[in-house]
Amino acid sequence: MIQLLFFVLIGVALLASLLLIGRRGSVRAEGDSGALLEARRALDSLQGGLLPEELVQRIFARDDLDYLTSSSAPKAVRDLFFTERKRIALSWISQVRCQISSLKRFHVGAARSYAQLGLGTEFKLACHFAALLVACRALRLAVYVGGPYAAPRMVGVTAAAAASICTISEQSLAFLNPVQVKPFANSSLPS
Amino acid sequence: MDVEQARQDLCRRTLSDIQRPLDRLIYLASMRDYNTGVYHHEGLASRFTEEVACEALADCHREAFGELVICPLHELVSQLDAYRSSTHTSPREFLTAWGRLEPYRVAVPVQADPLSAEFLFSNFKIALAVLESQLDSRPAGLAA
Repeated sequence: MIQLLFFVLIGVALLASLLLIGRRGSVRAEGDSGALLEARRALDSLQGGLLPEELVQRIFARDDLDYLTSSSAPKAVRDLFFTERKRIALSWISQVRCQISSLKRFHVGAARSYAQLGLGTEFKLACHFAALLVACRALRLAVYVGGPYAAPRMVGVTAAAAASICTISEQSLAFLNPVQVKPFANSSLPS
Repeated sequence: MDVEQARQDLCRRTLSDIQRPLDRLIYLASMRDYNTGVYHHEGLASRFTEEVACEALADCHREAFGELVICPLHELVSQLDAYRSSTHTSPREFLTAWGRLEPYRVAVPVQADPLSAEFLFSNFKIALAVLESQLDSRPAGLAA
């Protein structure tokens, strides 16, 4: 009876492993253009919209608050400013996190099919992803509790880490960039 | 190349007279058909083509938007006040209309990054509140 139970358990474990492998296989569907497009969009959004240094500096810049304080703006205006800036800062953090998660999904699921990344780069990337997602959570908590100026150094570190991930991801998606084809020279055409 | 030439032509002939990014943003947004999102400029289209003129206008619109997004709050306040003066509207009327209608929401380029656009809207809201508070603190005769 105990032997039978043992073999049944082994059977169930094997079946569960098969199901797990089957599910992972469907995630890594080679040739899935959806995963590529999602990753490309995430990369464009990060590089073009969320990470430009000037924008990040402006969102978290203290000089706007200093301007309101020095110009003796009423408390209602300063409160409005603080609420609005906090809302934008939180939105920035959650969008960075969302796009980074999207890039992570691409690397976990599909990147290996397209990109020739070395083991070292993949390991570095995995560490970057893990650190960045934790940093985003910590930053979100800090801004939620202390407002937009609670952790200026953490903002810089997060933006730099995200930019570094973008650089590596760009290598993985480089084959999607249009190739510059030289026009045919007239002289090479048969006369 | 044509688009770049058209862009330079637009900057030289028209936009050089519009110094403030806010004024340029509003002017370029007004060149866009709200139903189609296509920009029109008779003069530019006659020198180039409709498509090239549209691209050049869209480029300049994105540029003005980009400048305004990273503009410090005090500059936005002064640009908004200067724009208000140029319209010859009374400050109170202007602030009420802009506060209620939020016309800046339709002045952003179509392909603007959502967070950047939201950031600019937020700054407009604050700038309007600043101008309103300045107006309230002025003596009654000057505020009209």
